[in-house]
Amino acid sequence: MATQESAAANGRTAQVKIHLSSRNEDIQLPQDTGAILVSTEFKRYQLSTLVNRLLDTDQPIPLEFLVNGQFLRTSLDDFLTQNGISAESTLNVEYVKALVPPLHVASYEHDDWVSSVDVLSASSNAAKWAGSAYDTSSQPRILSGSFDSILRVWDTSANIVATGSAHTAPIKAAKFISPTQVVSSGADRTLRLWNFTDSTQPGEQGSLTPTLELYGHKASVDALAVHAPSSRILSASADHTIGLWSTKKSENPVAPENLLPSASNKRRKLSTNSKPSPQRGPLSLLARHTAQVSDVTFDAKDHTVAYSTSWDHSLKTWDLTTSACVDSRSTPQALFSVCHLPDTSLIACGTSAKHITLIDPRASAQTISAMTLRGHTNAVVSLARDPNSSYQFVSGSHDGTCRIWDLRSARSEASERVGESVYVINRESGKGGVAGDGVKVFGVQWDAEVGVVSGGEDKQVQINKGQQ
Amino acid sequence: MAPQRAGQKRKVVEVPRPKQQEEDDALGNGLLDGAIDDGSSSEDGASEDGSEEEFEEDEDEDEELDSDEIPSSEDEEEEDVRQQIRDLKTRDTKKLTGTDTAKDIASISSGTPVKPLADDADKPNYTIETDANGNERYVYKEIEPNYDSDDSDAPDGVNTIGNIPLSYYDAYPHIGYDINGKRIARPAKGEALDSLLDSIDLPEGWTGLTDPATGKPLNLSREELEVLKQLTRNERPGEGYDPYPDMVEWFTGKHNQEIMPLSAAPEPKRRFVPSMHEHKRVMKMVKAIKEGRIQPYREPTEEDKEKDEQEDFATYDVWADEAPRPDHIMNVPAPKLPPPGYEESYHPPAEYLPDKAEREAWEQADEEDRTRDYLPQDHSALRRVPGYARFVKEKFERCLDLYLAPRVRRSKLNIDPESLLPKLPDPAELRPFPDHVATVFKGHDGRVRTVAIDPSGQYLASGGDDGTVRIWELKTGYCFQRVKLSTTDAVNVVSWRPTTDPPILAACCSDSVHFIVPSASVTTPEAETQAIELITAGFNNPNANQPLKTASGADKPSPSSWHRPIPAHGSQGVYLTISLRSMPKTFVWHRRGDYFATVCPNTSATSTAVAIHTLSKHLSQHPFRRLRGLAQTATFHPSKPLFFVATRQRVRVYDLQQQKLERELQPGARWISSISLHPLGSNLIVSSYDRRLLWHDMDLGTTPYKVLRYHDKAIRSAKFHPSLPLFADASDDGSVQVFHGKVVGDSMENATVVPLKVLRGHKVVKELGVLDLDWHPREAWCVSAGADGTVRLWT
Repeated sequence: MATQESAAANGRTAQVKIHLSSRNEDIQLPQDTGAILVSTEFKRYQLSTLVNRLLDTDQPIPLEFLVNGQFLRTSLDDFLTQNGISAESTLNVEYVKALVPPLHVASYEHDDWVSSVDVLSASSNAAKWAGSAYDTSSQPRILSGSFDSILRVWDTSANIVATGSAHTAPIKAAKFISPTQVVSSGADRTLRLWNFTDSTQPGEQGSLTPTLELYGHKASVDALAVHAPSSRILSASADHTIGLWSTKKSENPVAPENLLPSASNKRRKLSTNSKPSPQRGPLSLLARHTAQVSDVTFDAKDHTVAYSTSWDHSLKTWDLTTSACVDSRSTPQALFSVCHLPDTSLIACGTSAKHITLIDPRASAQTISAMTLRGHTNAVVSLARDPNSSYQFVSGSHDGTCRIWDLRSARSEASERVGESVYVINRESGKGGVAGDGVKVFGVQWDAEVGVVSGGEDKQVQINKGQQ
Repeated sequence: MAPQRAGQKRKVVEVPRPKQQEEDDALGNGLLDGAIDDGSSSEDGASEDGSEEEFEEDEDEDEELDSDEIPSSEDEEEEDVRQQIRDLKTRDTKKLTGTDTAKDIASISSGTPVKPLADDADKPNYTIETDANGNERYVYKEIEPNYDSDDSDAPDGVNTIGNIPLSYYDAYPHIGYDINGKRIARPAKGEALDSLLDSIDLPEGWTGLTDPATGKPLNLSREELEVLKQLTRNERPGEGYDPYPDMVEWFTGKHNQEIMPLSAAPEPKRRFVPSMHEHKRVMKMVKAIKEGRIQPYREPTEEDKEKDEQEDFATYDVWADEAPRPDHIMNVPAPKLPPPGYEESYHPPAEYLPDKAEREAWEQADEEDRTRDYLPQDHSALRRVPGYARFVKEKFERCLDLYLAPRVRRSKLNIDPESLLPKLPDPAELRPFPDHVATVFKGHDGRVRTVAIDPSGQYLASGGDDGTVRIWELKTGYCFQRVKLSTTDAVNVVSWRPTTDPPILAACCSDSVHFIVPSASVTTPEAETQAIELITAGFNNPNANQPLKTASGADKPSPSSWHRPIPAHGSQGVYLTISLRSMPKTFVWHRRGDYFATVCPNTSATSTAVAIHTLSKHLSQHPFRRLRGLAQTATFHPSKPLFFVATRQRVRVYDLQQQKLERELQPGARWISSISLHPLGSNLIVSSYDRRLLWHDMDLGTTPYKVLRYHDKAIRSAKFHPSLPLFADASDDGSVQVFHGKVVGDSMENATVVPLKVLRGHKVVKELGVLDLDWHPREAWCVSAGADGTVRLWT
């Protein structure tokens, strides 16, 4: 091996000592190699080949290399120069499996724009919360809410398992609470809980039956967040409030009378839905935003904490036990989406100004924006975590693309850290017009089994998955 | 002389004249002829004489001119010709008239005694021979040179070729001609052996030179050589000169001394009196010595000598005591040479060294065209640097520069042009402002004429040529509601009631105004009922729709009627319709949402063009009995009870409470398209169809504070942002321009207007671009209605 190394670095180029390590058990080196001398001209590919040779794998695994918490995007030499590291010091290089480019798997046609998507699979939150109640051998299910007011559940072979049509206006958000329960909300200002019965046989139809209507918002309910163990639902509405709801009918108070649909509308509704669902009100309405609330999410570690973004440019932290606003951070732009990244304790916020701002919500944080991720060409309206990595997430934007980001792939600019997307997922239906006209992405979800699921203006749910 | 002349004449005359010759021969005793003819007519003779005299004169002149010169052949020729003419004449006279002039007679008579002698001697002057052609040929005798020549010293056999090099005759066997025209033969040179023998056997005085006059070897005697030598050495002037003759002691020596003085006069007095002038000069010196100006001579000591020696080799700094001269227009210091750069180093960095192409280009370039007059050269060490070849030239050129360069101080205004520009903030600092399209709202068939964002900022209403009003979700661009108001007429204006709750949308289509309550997906049921109540409350008002009474008490047709909508509209959410007499093009709400004003610019009656309506009472009023000009648009003041009415060229401000004209603004536009009042109420922007956007500051008089001409086509609409310091205009050239317009409450400070961004994207359809625009109530977003059937949201 030593001869190999020396042969590899036989040129007159400078050499640097690197210490290779990995946190992933699958790709640990057989024995500690100690410091290895490599040429500073090595790039990711050469290092990847080197490690693969050391691992003696049958199939070469594409690897990414992290030096000081940053991805190696240039040659080692350039990296050392940019970061001012001496070539004589030993570099601690951590390698991780590279993210494979997500390739298009399938597209599910809808009748109207798709506003929201969610996935039920063994690795999804809903299944994890259900624990043993979820049969891990069952097929993943994809939930899509559409502007034609119909909720659909799909299997992975583009068949509709179940549809639910109780909404009277476009559905804006839909989520699995458990393998048997679904919540959806829309422009008709209501949240609806559904019982989902999965099909047992591949050809058989399942069913979505509305179980509960939740009234309380005075305007369109644009986003939902669920936490099954505490049976809580959060809803973000355009009436500037955040609703806190329970998944259990008994826990929710009576619905406010003035918000119930008027007779004329009710008549219309009755004609389609013979048996009205019970109507309930919110546990609490969190009203501190001064403009429509665009997105809300639970803290991934603490379900009593929630984060919400609004058009009033602020990110607010809520204590759900007291329904109080704990903290508020203002940014220069209207915020359209939020995603909590627990391991880095950062909150990613998609903005109207075409980028994603990473905000440190902790009180000790000095700056509002820890990092800015640039690349989208229109408002970023949806964010979803990578189930496998705490550094990665996917964003859906009105420019018709989904972009995969890695917090470690960033560089420092004048006043802030700026990141670039790792992969861009375009819509299969076409390029779209100016600013993603016609192919806007409204909802995106990332599941370990299914991949990146996104729905948008092209009336399709698109599934992209990296082929391992 | 005469015989000589005759000889000459004969020699040159070409035509052989044997007869004449015979006559000449006969002329030998021509005296007789002359005598015979003498007595004949004299008339002709007089005339002949005159002409003869003329000829004589000419001849004399010629002779005078030629006297200095050696007679050339040409002269001879001339002479001959004249002679010939004369001969002819004389012959003629002899022949025909037989008269002769006295002169002739004299000459003849004078020549007579000589002639026989000469004739005797002259007879054999030539002999007639026959040449090869059988013609006669005259062969003359040799001329005796000394006889006729002035130059008696001319040596015999002198070459007559004149002052030309002998080498001209190299190609010939002769070297010239003697006085008789005979060739002078080249002296025999003999063979090479002979010349060798000659050189061995040197004759006395042989010099090896050739006498140019004779072509013979030049021999010099010893004495001649001696003289030549002395002459060349400047030693003596000539032969026999002694440069050192013995001194002749005329006045010295024994017995030669003069004992007696030359004069016995006594010595004059001045010899014994000191000179006054000398005394003065001496006293000057004395004074100088006393003052120490003149130092007595002192033997130089060793130190002094050393010092002198040092001074001999000392260098002087000419500019050592150079004092800066006062700044004056005539004192222009010589320009300093720039300090040497890297490329002038003897060992410059590699990037300064010229490559091959550069070197070639430099070498090929004309010396005057070179940008620099040297090539950077690399020497590995300072000691390898050779002498600088261009040193003298360079110094010379520098001196030439200094000498020839004009020293004129240019009076230059030291003003940075940038500083003359008004200080405008950088657009990047004025964020946020819309700079890109975020959503395109598609669905309208035909032009979109009007857009409005609802007070909550969530929905967007638009109306167009297809007679529909559409309500869109602003963020996604989803069309939530579509109200078809007309199949033939366009929707001209849509306007949301300015208060959030409940949302009411007014839409002007054709000659009616419709009030729409948005559908259930946009409003809550509670708000919907509120809105319906609010709109329809006026139906209970007994004063509403009362026909106006004229002075005479007769009914006057009401200019407007409030009624319930037709069923087709009612099912779409229209709850109230006002029918006006003509087509309203402007619909503005009062800020409270109860009053609104409509302007119908196309109406024939100017009094009913502007109407102010009360929604709660279903009342319409026409505040102006008579309006000067055609009303175009109107607006309410945001806080004061003021009402702005724009006619085609004027903007008038009316106080509604006191019901009087407050002031009149003159924007200077030909045709006003729209006006917009700043939220603070003291600034007004006026857009005009003649491509101008005019900013009026109400505190600054009636003329515009700023005129913005940025569009190529008519401006359709201009609007202030309700909360941010922004305004925008929409033009027929398909662009929307966003400006920063900051208004300060302090009246001492003028408003800042900065152009920020041109938003392009709308297509120009039938010469119409963007027809309307509206701002989001809070965000720096604007929507524009395009003639291409789309509405665009710019963020």
